Amino acid sequence: MMSDEVSPAEVEDEGLAHQAANAVAAYRGGDREPLARLVRSVTPLLWRTVRAQGADNEQAQDVVQNVWLTLVRDIESIRDPHATLQWLLVTARRAAWRTVRRSRDDQIRTEQDDQITEWLVAPSDEAPDVQVARDERDQALWRHVGALPERCRQLLSLVAMVDRPDYAVVSRTLGMPVGSIGPTRGRCLAKLRLALAADPTWSLQ
Amino acid sequence: MTAADDSVLALVASGAIDASDEEILRRLDALVNAYDPMPDGLVERIGIALTVEALQAEVARLHLVGDLASSVRADEASIEADTITFTTDVLTVMISVHHDAGRARVDGWAAPAGRLTVELHQFGDVQVTQSDEDGRFSFEDVERGPARLVLRRPSDPTVPIVTPQVEL
Repeated sequence: MMSDEVSPAEVEDEGLAHQAANAVAAYRGGDREPLARLVRSVTPLLWRTVRAQGADNEQAQDVVQNVWLTLVRDIESIRDPHATLQWLLVTARRAAWRTVRRSRDDQIRTEQDDQITEWLVAPSDEAPDVQVARDERDQALWRHVGALPERCRQLLSLVAMVDRPDYAVVSRTLGMPVGSIGPTRGRCLAKLRLALAADPTWSLQ
Repeated sequence: MTAADDSVLALVASGAIDASDEEILRRLDALVNAYDPMPDGLVERIGIALTVEALQAEVARLHLVGDLASSVRADEASIEADTITFTTDVLTVMISVHHDAGRARVDGWAAPAGRLTVELHQFGDVQVTQSDEDGRFSFEDVERGPARLVLRRPSDPTVPIVTPQVEL
């Protein structure tokens, strides 16, 4: 007999975009708890989005917090709650970009901060700090990701954080839409797959 | 890149994400996290900021019960009482406005009952009164025009409750 109950796995399958829509609707209805949970789920994604724009650690924390405050202040004016996740990502990206541009103008960025996100925002000829890699496969992966175009590195680092239902939203936000029928790899992931397939360190294990 | 390479890439790109892709993405996520972890406590700090924001928004936006346009008469000559009710999580305020000879009288009642400091803000000017133990207060001989009430509870004087602007 079929059960009408929705299993936890199915709820998870709905993804962050769905969770965000529900949180906005609940918040408008006076229930702030779902939004608090959404902050927990989505803040890591915003963090990486903002860092990928080259914001330093402190700037990134301010930008991410301001994105959430802006959402809450404007929550009544969101016409389509289902676009909330995309709104968060786009707002974070633009805010980070503005912050970085302003601070570059002011030349207040430090050498140390530049290095942290270099692998995401700048072309890199060699693999950055591979100490984070646990094993040879990770090292190979890190090396090949580092060799991808900047936009691909940013896209994959964000897509890697979300489950399938949200691939499309994240990709679209970066201007790299994936297939409309189902989540396809897209060119960035395909490039990485091909590079890894040709690397015995990865493919022979 | 040759045309052949490009067609291979296009083919792979149009393929559905499989278990190997999932593994690649999972490993990549762990690597990026290790490389650039989100600062400890960031989520908690944002939570606190949002709570403060929500509390302020709550007091700043007393919800109007009923339709303001219909509860406050546009009819200038009317001296009938018009009643407006506002509510927040912590307080409900009802005011009735009587018009007489181009002036207004505001009678109000706040619940739960108790002594409150009530301010009437109008044209940058403030009149202050205290409600009685039953939460009743009034302002007499008030100029007509847009006004706003600010109510302060003795238990929480720094967090005022502010009504939307109403036309007296």
